Amino acid sequence: MPDGKSTVSKPPVPKSPAALGKTTKDSEDINRRSFFSWLSFGWIGFVAATGGFFTMMLRFFFPNVLFEPVQTFLAGYPDDYIIGEVDTKWKDKYGVWIIRNDQGIYALSTVCTHLGCTPNWLASAKKFKCPCHGSGFKSTGINFEGPAPRPLERYRIVLADDGQIIVDKTKKFQQEKGQWEDPEALLKV
Amino acid sequence: MGSFKEIVNTISNPTILFTSVVIIFPFVFPPSDWFEKWHRKLGLHHLWSKKAIIIAMIGMIAFFIYGLGDYNFQKIVLKPDNVPISGLIFLVVFFTWLSMYQAYKNDERLEAGQKPDEFYEAPNDKVLVWPDLVYVELISLIIMSAFLLVWSIGLPAPIEEPANPTESPNPAKAPWYFLGLQEMLVYFDPWMAGVVLPSLIIVGLMAMPFIDRNPENSGFYSFKRRRLAISLFMFGWLVLWVMLIIVGTVLRGPNWNFFGPFEYWDIHKLEALTNINLSEIVYIKWLNTGLPESILIREIWGILIIMGYFLILPPLLAKTALKDMYGRLGVVRYSVFIVLIITALTLPIKMYLRWIINLKYIISIPEYFFNF
Amino acid sequence: MSEEKQKSLLEKAAESQIWKSIFRGGGVPRNRRQRMMSVLNSVFLHLHPVRLPKHAVKLKFTWCMGGLSFFIFLILTISGILLMFYYRPTIEYAYTDIIDLAEQVPFGIMRELHRWGAHAMVITVWLHMFRVFMTGSYKPPREFNWAVGVILLLLTLLLSFTGYLLPWDQLAIWAITVGSNMARATPFLGSEGPGASLLAIGDINFITMGSDARFALIGGRFMGEAALLRFYVLHCIGLPFIIMIFMAVHFWRVRKDGGISTPV
Repeated sequence: MPDGKSTVSKPPVPKSPAALGKTTKDSEDINRRSFFSWLSFGWIGFVAATGGFFTMMLRFFFPNVLFEPVQTFLAGYPDDYIIGEVDTKWKDKYGVWIIRNDQGIYALSTVCTHLGCTPNWLASAKKFKCPCHGSGFKSTGINFEGPAPRPLERYRIVLADDGQIIVDKTKKFQQEKGQWEDPEALLKV
Repeated sequence: MGSFKEIVNTISNPTILFTSVVIIFPFVFPPSDWFEKWHRKLGLHHLWSKKAIIIAMIGMIAFFIYGLGDYNFQKIVLKPDNVPISGLIFLVVFFTWLSMYQAYKNDERLEAGQKPDEFYEAPNDKVLVWPDLVYVELISLIIMSAFLLVWSIGLPAPIEEPANPTESPNPAKAPWYFLGLQEMLVYFDPWMAGVVLPSLIIVGLMAMPFIDRNPENSGFYSFKRRRLAISLFMFGWLVLWVMLIIVGTVLRGPNWNFFGPFEYWDIHKLEALTNINLSEIVYIKWLNTGLPESILIREIWGILIIMGYFLILPPLLAKTALKDMYGRLGVVRYSVFIVLIITALTLPIKMYLRWIINLKYIISIPEYFFNF
Repeated sequence: MSEEKQKSLLEKAAESQIWKSIFRGGGVPRNRRQRMMSVLNSVFLHLHPVRLPKHAVKLKFTWCMGGLSFFIFLILTISGILLMFYYRPTIEYAYTDIIDLAEQVPFGIMRELHRWGAHAMVITVWLHMFRVFMTGSYKPPREFNWAVGVILLLLTLLLSFTGYLLPWDQLAIWAITVGSNMARATPFLGSEGPGASLLAIGDINFITMGSDARFALIGGRFMGEAALLRFYVLHCIGLPFIIMIFMAVHFWRVRKDGGISTPV
């Protein structure tokens, strides 16, 4: 223990005062100084250990395994979808709108980019309208009104070997990052 | 009577409501001599008399009773979770009056050279906790318990449909005490409205005793000698908090559109609001060039405006309008104070920018989730 | 006649050994000294000083809002404990348990008491704060206690908010969805907050949907069972534990900073 050195507080009786007086004082100084340096080492070590412990405790909030529903599903054949229409049949189960336009088919996330409410498709106004804070999106997913900061996300959409559509929600494409150009973001038919 | 409802609906339009409140406010809670003069001239100090509160209470009760005859108003007010807000309106009005009434009385006493009403001669004027305080407490507790019991028996707690993660209710509202925040979310990005501004409210409240260094008038109600502090606090509390809660509860309907209190909540009410960013105004409307590729060039105007607002405005004010205050508070206190105040002011500023020019963001960098 | 008899009965009871063993000093406090001792000798009452300035017992001045907040907190604790006997925090049972609470349990107003009490507590805490502000009672030496009070207000709101999810109805999950998505926008710590993408090495993001502030709050990438359990634990144990510590400090400092504020 570094504390042991703190006991050197009583000046030792000098044998020959003239010669030893100064050195004793010096060594005492060094002792005190080194004691403090040891003490600060101790404190830094203590703070680091406690800090490290609590950081590890934060990790406790992030489990290694998550039990969540499957994120991929089969969405029927391309011919099931009519050009220019928003299909809402997968909304309740998987949270996906499938939309077909002249260029192809894409899967739009039903999660509003503002705060995660589920917008409603208003067929008459031809827009998705979020009930929470009034964000509006065009059928492409582009935001045009309300507080939503960016367009809706699109999911990976590809064809399976048997010609069915696979929607994979684990891979997202964001328009503002230019990811909608990705071949998997739009199924060309 | 129909026209009365029309008038109320029109006044409730946020632009009119908010503007008139902001204009009237400093005359009701005058922060300076000039306002104080007009406050007296307009007779607004009579608001804090006994007569005024009786009239106000009767007026509010009459309005509620009248409103309950209206289907749309009734539907909002009688929704179980909205009941506390009706109570809150009465309580806030009453307690604001009660404090101001006592404050004005004390102000008069002080002006006449007397001691405030709460003054006592220590130690002769003291009372014993047992039984004086203990009985007051006991009676309060009994009244509160009875009140809660009656409320609980009379009004079942609401329970809606089972949770459905794919179907948001329309409108989807936060608990009422967070509706002020939800209102801010319309004008700000979530990181501002949901994280930064609430934290600043907390920090600002905690910093208050360190900024308000006026040592006078602690321990009794008073207004005159701390009118700036009180009118600022009242603005934050009554206008930016309580009023926004009422707006969020009563005036926000389906699709988060505005509805008057007597207006039918039409889910198909169309409000064509196409909001645009500052960069789009500059480059597309004014310069006709289209948005530049580089984010920095695109957003430079917004960044300059924000930097100017937060970095140049405070020292400018310190040299001019707020010179006295700067001298009184010193650099550190002044900086904290002014940053809190001008951050709070971004809310009304952004509200007006949204209403007038449909501005969405001053800085908009969705690539990095940074929108302001 | 009967009054006299009652009085003497009470007095007799107050002089019995049992009474004296429970209430230190014993006897019905009649004179000034006994009244002071009855406050000093009680663990609950000595939250108070023995003597107070006159305005401290006037409702006109105090509004009693601080005391009522604490009282409602006690009501909420008791009714909350009772509710825990019937409520299971799982998606399968949460909603039906809440329905049963009203329909299958005798004296089925505990949930009402809890919910309306929570609303009332938010209001009383606000009004208490408002009173403290209006009387200038946050000024030295009470600055620190004012800060503690602000934290208590925050904790009250958080308790209310976490409780909101537990019925697992539409109102609940959408309020919490919106609330927890705000955490996602936290600067640097949220996956969609400004600055989060700066905390990355090459293509590897450290702050993702699976590792940000929102995840810590709801225990998953989507609103689900983990969120319900986390909010349940926070609501029933975590936050009450913290708020009690702060309340203890708050009450202690009220006394130490000179009791109720008075004009100088």
